[in-house]
Amino acid sequence: MPNAIVDVRDLRKVYRSWSWGRRREVHALRGVSLQAHAGEVFGLLGPNGAGKTTLIKTLLGVVRPSGGGASLFGLPAGSTQARQKVGYLPESLRVDRHHTARSALRYYGRMSRMGPSEINRRSDELLELVGLRGRDKESVRRFSKGMYQRLGLAQALMHDPSLLVLDEPTDGLDPVGRNEVRNVIQRLSDSGKTIFLNSHILQEVELVCTRVAIMALGEIKAIGPIAELAKSGQASPVFLRIAHSETQSIESVRSVVANHPVVDPATSDPADESVELVSVDQRPSANEWTMNVGLSDQAATDRLVDRLRAANFSILHLETKQASLEETFMRLVNQPSAVEAEPIATSSGHATDSQVTDEISA
Amino acid sequence: MRPYLAVILDSFHAALSSRVLWIAFIAIWILLGALAPIGYREDLTTEFRRWDFDNGTQLKAMLAQGLADPQQESTALGRVSAALPEDLQRQLKRVAKGEEVRIRTNALADGLNEVMDRQDWHDDDAWKATARLRELRDLDAKSDDELSEVMKKRRSRLRIEAALPGVFQARASRSILLTYAGFDFPAPLPFGKEQFDMVTNQFVLPLLMNWLLGFALIFLGILVTASIVPDMLQPGSLHLLLSKPVSRSLLLLSKFLGGCAFVFLCVCQLVVGLWLIAGLRLDIWNVRLLWCIPVAVFLFSVFYSVSFFAGLRWRTPILAIGITCMFGAFVLVVGAIGGYFDAFVSQPAAIRSMVLAGDEVLSTTRGGVVQRFDKTENVWSPLSEPDQRQGDLVLPLTKLSDDTVATARIKGGRFNPYGSGSLDLQLLERGTDWEPEPAMRLPIATRRIFAVPGESLIAMNTGGLMAADWDSVLAWSSDETKSTSGTKAKAKNDSESAAPGNWLTELIRKRGGATSDFQSILPAGVTIVQPVRVAVSDDAQWMILYSLGRITRLEKSRDADQPIWLATAKRELDGEASKGAVIAISGSKLLVAREEESIKILDAESLRELSGIELSSDGSVHSAIGLADGERFMIVYSSGSSCLVSTAAGTAALDYSLQYDDVESVSLDRETDELMIAHDTDRIDFVDSQSFQVQRKIRPSLSGWRFVDRWVITPLRTLTPQTGELGQTVAALVGGKSSVTIGQNSADDGDRIRFKILRPVLSCAGFVIVMLSISCLYFARRDF
Repeated sequence: MPNAIVDVRDLRKVYRSWSWGRRREVHALRGVSLQAHAGEVFGLLGPNGAGKTTLIKTLLGVVRPSGGGASLFGLPAGSTQARQKVGYLPESLRVDRHHTARSALRYYGRMSRMGPSEINRRSDELLELVGLRGRDKESVRRFSKGMYQRLGLAQALMHDPSLLVLDEPTDGLDPVGRNEVRNVIQRLSDSGKTIFLNSHILQEVELVCTRVAIMALGEIKAIGPIAELAKSGQASPVFLRIAHSETQSIESVRSVVANHPVVDPATSDPADESVELVSVDQRPSANEWTMNVGLSDQAATDRLVDRLRAANFSILHLETKQASLEETFMRLVNQPSAVEAEPIATSSGHATDSQVTDEISA
Repeated sequence: MRPYLAVILDSFHAALSSRVLWIAFIAIWILLGALAPIGYREDLTTEFRRWDFDNGTQLKAMLAQGLADPQQESTALGRVSAALPEDLQRQLKRVAKGEEVRIRTNALADGLNEVMDRQDWHDDDAWKATARLRELRDLDAKSDDELSEVMKKRRSRLRIEAALPGVFQARASRSILLTYAGFDFPAPLPFGKEQFDMVTNQFVLPLLMNWLLGFALIFLGILVTASIVPDMLQPGSLHLLLSKPVSRSLLLLSKFLGGCAFVFLCVCQLVVGLWLIAGLRLDIWNVRLLWCIPVAVFLFSVFYSVSFFAGLRWRTPILAIGITCMFGAFVLVVGAIGGYFDAFVSQPAAIRSMVLAGDEVLSTTRGGVVQRFDKTENVWSPLSEPDQRQGDLVLPLTKLSDDTVATARIKGGRFNPYGSGSLDLQLLERGTDWEPEPAMRLPIATRRIFAVPGESLIAMNTGGLMAADWDSVLAWSSDETKSTSGTKAKAKNDSESAAPGNWLTELIRKRGGATSDFQSILPAGVTIVQPVRVAVSDDAQWMILYSLGRITRLEKSRDADQPIWLATAKRELDGEASKGAVIAISGSKLLVAREEESIKILDAESLRELSGIELSSDGSVHSAIGLADGERFMIVYSSGSSCLVSTAAGTAALDYSLQYDDVESVSLDRETDELMIAHDTDRIDFVDSQSFQVQRKIRPSLSGWRFVDRWVITPLRTLTPQTGELGQTVAALVGGKSSVTIGQNSADDGDRIRFKILRPVLSCAGFVIVMLSISCLYFARRDF
């Protein structure tokens, strides 16, 4: 798309280190591609060790990619010009203890090449916005985690960036604080800012993000609007209650649901659909069976109904369900990786983000 | 630059919020508060102290003679001796009888101080025969009513000094007395305000700075700043910094500069405080003291660059401190080894004097070695060495002929300045392969010998100038043909038989007076009082004597039987008489260079001033020599650099057509008209004194420890930042001199201290640049 603010193409990152004469490699990113567009609130979801932080650090130029590429506003990610347009809130912000909220904003404003008058003006605005007005001359030593996060958000907004990269923005906040941050994000989104949000709190992402990418083991597992993600690549759960005669056995219904060849009636070709029989149970009080079936779309549902009717089953009840983001997330991150055969770490196997950091630190 | 300035300013902000900084501030304020009550008082120099005596043996002998010799009874010496306390007189009389009596110098000083309290021993007529300083003459011209008690005591002291010439150290007329909160320190300092300023600026303040800044603050600074980089590398801090539109390298350099903020703030307090105390309390307003601020921060930056890289690489302050301490220890060890090699290997090998005897080059070294240059092996071959390294002092070589050279070895060197024990002339002769052979006994405390070829050998000691007959000198030669009046054995017998003599002869010998071989040549009214210098004319028929601010031209009497030389001109120089001087004769011109003054060119006959010239900034003049053309002098500064002083155009001008940087000593061979310039420890250039073309060179091969010094120690020192030597940079900056000469009262034997200024700065700067480059490269290329 022409207005992709964040454009990541086949991004790879391998951390290499030596330990006791042995070379170790950790594949943190395995060909990640994604785009975030202007005005979007783009959520990056994934469990610990999925590669989210590495992806963000690559976008900010903190780490250098091993392959592929990334750009911000069409500029190489990590370039000074690109960083000029980015506001970043790190996961666990650390502000030197000699600062107050105001002096910290002044310091970070200067770091972003802002002039004194502009710094003063923006400081007033942002302290008001994040709810730190009145406590702006207090040493940050007395700040709670939530106040730190608010200060971090304020500093990220100091130079009025076009892109905000927020790493776990509501981490450590109480419910009220989370709500306030969500409101701020929403307002920023409304004002046209692009927000790239990294979080493992699914509800938060569900509430504020317009598009989401789910990462696991250094790969993008799925990407798109949340509603589409729930459907993507996975059958929707359908609950059925059917009546059966004395002669019909439970195996017969299993064969109807699971083993019947699926043919597209229009073309007589095999249909591109999946039918997953999750469970079949006989109700003890009547000649009824209950079934949980996964169906890819409405056509598949129609065809299953047709087959059951053709086999003289009477459908007493049919109910379709929408998968939640959490279910989708859990399903996707538990999927075997396309490159699972390939070891994540050549010597120690699976590695998480934090492990990667630890290894580099060591 | 705004982001980087923000980082630097933030470091100051962080430093000022540090508790450790405020503790350091309080410690500094307490120190400055403790120093603030120090003050000084200036008064006339009156009381004698034991360190005022230049030659205690001579003093004892003179006083004993004054008591025992009837001829001295009505002289100034006799009157002072007779005024001494009874018990001291008893002891001195026993000395006069030849008994070995130990009299402590403190007791002598106390005795003279008691004399000073009275006036009855003085007699105008008796003192007319003494050499009185202008100050004494002025005081004598006043009546007692016009003088305060202190001035009377001053006058008494000057009278005693005039009565006992040659035994006192040169002292300024006014002495400094340190005070603390209005209370006087127990003893006055043995120098005047000018010297006090020099000592304070050159030694005390740099020493204070080196200890406080070079050790305490650096260590404290490293402890405090070691956590800056590991803190910055915390993910929540670093990632935010790196996300800003700044260059990583410049960000790191800004952090480095900011890290120096702590030391800068402390050093500013300390140095400005000391500067104010020195100015307000001691009247030493030395703006150069403020140079200590950048130098101390620079010194800190050397250690901080190590701590900085260690913190960057391992991200732990403890490891950064540990590695920096290990680095400091390594630098200290290398510096100590280098200093040891300087003191015991290279400096003792430096050439002090040299002569060209025919085709042979002989020299003496600072370490007391007499040596000959072996052309076949291209090495200096020792002819005699001291018992212990640097133990002995060897008098400069004096050429008697192409086959004979004279010198003398003072056992114990600096610890035996009076030449106690046997002080024999040593003759080095071609016939005996230049092996030093003992010859006639020299007057006690001889510091220099001069040859008047074919006539006499003149010895200068603290008591005067004495000449020995040329033939009696050569009588000691192993070459019998050179002796015209007897054999060596006869000479020896004469000398030895004269040794015991009567008590008076022995006393006179002890006081450095005439002996059986050496007769005084100084006319009445001319005495030698330190600081003293002698320059002999080309034809050795006249000489110039500088003594305690007074210049005297002495001419040899035309009457061959008259040993006393004639004083044909005198001149008293303005200013402090106790200042040392360097003099040299070229034709009919005399060059006089006194400490802290411009060079003067005088007419050597009338001693009238002809012209003057300001010194360059290379320190004071250490030695000078007149060239044969009668127009030019070569001067060597205490820094080792040299230049010419030309008087050809009627006015003196500096001429840089013969320039060396590291001159050890200079000598002129009158026969070949060649300048011998010893430089770079033991190399010699033979330069034509007319064209200044180098005729030949001596470049001896290195061997033994000097080889190790050149090829192992020197490269090691070059690669290691010489932080210890930065103390010398401080001394040079604070003192305003790149070199100083110490102990240059009587001859060219003063120790030159040449401060290394550029080398430590370059060495440290190079190290910091390398460390910062590695750090920047690591930081710029590293994933975090």
